[in-house]
Amino acid sequence: MMWSFSFPRSLPLIFWGFCMLFVASATQAAKVELSSEHWGNPAGERCVSCHEKSSAGLTRQWHESAHREAGVNCLDCHQAEAADADAMEHEGEIIATIVSPKDCGRCHTKEYEEQAGSVHAEAYAKIKTRIPALAHQLTGGAMQAAGCDQCHGSEVKVLGDGTLDPATWPNSGIGRVNPDGSKGSCSSCHGRHAFSKAQAREPSACVRCHSGPDSPDKEVFEASKHGMLYAAQRDQMNLDGETWIAGKDYTAAPTCTTCHMGAAGKIPATHDVGLRNAWNLNQPVSHKQYLILFEDGSKLEQSDAEAPPRRGSELVKPDGSTGKVRAVIAPDRRRGVMSLVCLECHGKTFTESFMTQFDNVVELYNSKFGEPAEAIMAALYERGLLTPLPFDEPLEFTYWELWHDEGARARHGASMMSANHAWWEGMYLVGRNFYSRFLPQARAAAGEQAAEIIDPVLASTGQHEWLGEPQQANPILGWMPPPAPAAPPVEPAEVPAAALQLVPAAVAVVSEPAAADTTSVPNAASDASTAVASDTNLAQDKPQSGSAAADENQEAAQ
Amino acid sequence: MIKLQAPHFITRHVLFALVAGGIGGVVFMFFLIEFDHYTSSNEFCTTCHSMTYADDSYQSTPHYNSPSGVRASCGDCHVSEGIIMATYDHAIGTKDLIKQLFGPDYDDPVVNLLHLPEAAFAARDWFRKRDSATCKRCHTLEAIQGVRANTAAIHQEETEGKSCIDCHYNLVHRHVPSENTFKREAWNAMVEEEFGLEPGTAAQLLSSETQ
Repeated sequence: MMWSFSFPRSLPLIFWGFCMLFVASATQAAKVELSSEHWGNPAGERCVSCHEKSSAGLTRQWHESAHREAGVNCLDCHQAEAADADAMEHEGEIIATIVSPKDCGRCHTKEYEEQAGSVHAEAYAKIKTRIPALAHQLTGGAMQAAGCDQCHGSEVKVLGDGTLDPATWPNSGIGRVNPDGSKGSCSSCHGRHAFSKAQAREPSACVRCHSGPDSPDKEVFEASKHGMLYAAQRDQMNLDGETWIAGKDYTAAPTCTTCHMGAAGKIPATHDVGLRNAWNLNQPVSHKQYLILFEDGSKLEQSDAEAPPRRGSELVKPDGSTGKVRAVIAPDRRRGVMSLVCLECHGKTFTESFMTQFDNVVELYNSKFGEPAEAIMAALYERGLLTPLPFDEPLEFTYWELWHDEGARARHGASMMSANHAWWEGMYLVGRNFYSRFLPQARAAAGEQAAEIIDPVLASTGQHEWLGEPQQANPILGWMPPPAPAAPPVEPAEVPAAALQLVPAAVAVVSEPAAADTTSVPNAASDASTAVASDTNLAQDKPQSGSAAADENQEAAQ
Repeated sequence: MIKLQAPHFITRHVLFALVAGGIGGVVFMFFLIEFDHYTSSNEFCTTCHSMTYADDSYQSTPHYNSPSGVRASCGDCHVSEGIIMATYDHAIGTKDLIKQLFGPDYDDPVVNLLHLPEAAFAARDWFRKRDSATCKRCHTLEAIQGVRANTAAIHQEETEGKSCIDCHYNLVHRHVPSENTFKREAWNAMVEEEFGLEPGTAAQLLSSETQ
């Protein structure tokens, strides 16, 4: 944005903060606006006495819920029209088992509209085309219901006999495609049938999905200062509060909800969980992203690598339909909203500098690993050196894990301040994978074309030159080249054998690590460089050039 | 000594007719009892191939295989108790035989499944009109304990104004939705998918029957 160049960095943040002020007052407490005469269906009262016996647990949960207190009964949520795909007759009433976001939205309109089109609601739609490769080909169809769909949601299928296909239900994945066409599942985070506010505000509400190797947000949070404070001061979190505004109703610690959805200061709560995310951290290469809002209420994330659409223009949505653009929210603005949450507890400079640290990690990942790996894979596919079929070649697993697992961990770790995940579980593994698995496998797949495909990509980043200096000092692995021999220089014929030189070299590591004049150390140094080069085949133009370089080295030394 | 004087109209012929009619009547009653008994048996019902589909699902339920060894036959549920009502049900039931002989090819599993919903709806109506009388031949409401802790309480406290069939359907035969939520297109699509038929085949089959 132009603002950023001509004014201090904090100005946009403050500007958007003021914008938020106006929105905030109207939407802060998402009270149901519908009049209470719209619920409390008398027929629904009759469900209770039987269900107290047949399913005592869920009925008890409802009994203790705010729904019950407000007079909302079973039928208010479960009633269906006979024409609904999943409608069934039950004790004389027409009901549906699945209560979709659209159903909840009859009363909770604001939340329904916010979550519609969010990354949560689209969680299944986003990965639909990727599911077959992993769930069906690599493993088997059973894993879709037990794995993918548990978090991403299933496309619920109503069978011809009116029952729900067990391959797709039970399911409360957050991007569930419901029989009524709506996407999402409120009960993914709001455990039914208690629908407790306190439960949804806990980090545990997110843990079912945001944990594990590819999105260890639970682990990241727990390992962060935020998580440390939350664990220690949970009793001061006011989790049961009628309103739950960070900085007002609680200050002890933030949870997932606080930053990604919660009200904070003048920032209103939102059920669009991705609204405040400037980056997409779960792609081979991260992009900052525009949020495009359409006239019909749907939304679209668009990378900032492309020009943002104009307001009022027509745009093709992922489902193929076209929509008219109502508004475009720029990444800076999204970042600005997120930062305003930070400002409830942190200073402006602190917040901005933290964001800079985070952005630097993402940009490092992108430029050093993500973009080169993506380019190399694309070249291998284009030239037919890899088959298009996913996961039939080891390199494809390596690439997948590079960005999807350790790559995501590094970026998520940096975004939420877990040093362990940013580094050991993240970028360290990205580096290890990239140099010790990805590049050797890519070179093997490229064969004779390796120099043509891979080396220019690495060179263009300007970040892999270190591989060209195989004789750099090596204190970390406990070996140092021996110091230059004392004058006067000895005759070549009298140079001691390499094996004997290793002992003084080891001593030199301790005593004089910086004195590494490798050109005067004939055999040991060249052996080491050969070993590094042949192990990983990294820095050379040709596969054989490692040993060739070492030979030259040897010759020069002699 | 009292001498019984038969009335004048009791001639030898009349006496013979009465005796023959009496014996004939008794024989007929025995025949009806045996006939109703036989025609209520699983063996009789499944002599029609079309009924073997119903038999398949039945055999996988507790009404066929109960731990106590009680087995309900087709007629135990689908034919009323008592010789008069049993005979009536069988008489009405001959329409099924007529349809079997002259109607659609119910022996074809596709045709059979396409028509199953109407059969199920009719059967449920039949149970409802008789207040689930045939269920009660074996099941006594007051004695129902169930396996789950509260089954007995539910049957004591939640059943007023309800008949067994109101809650307990889709117990023995293949699952068919309630009539008020039944969707023919979805059912047809399910049949087509199950038998690997082209979409639209089911509707064609059904419309060809009415021509």
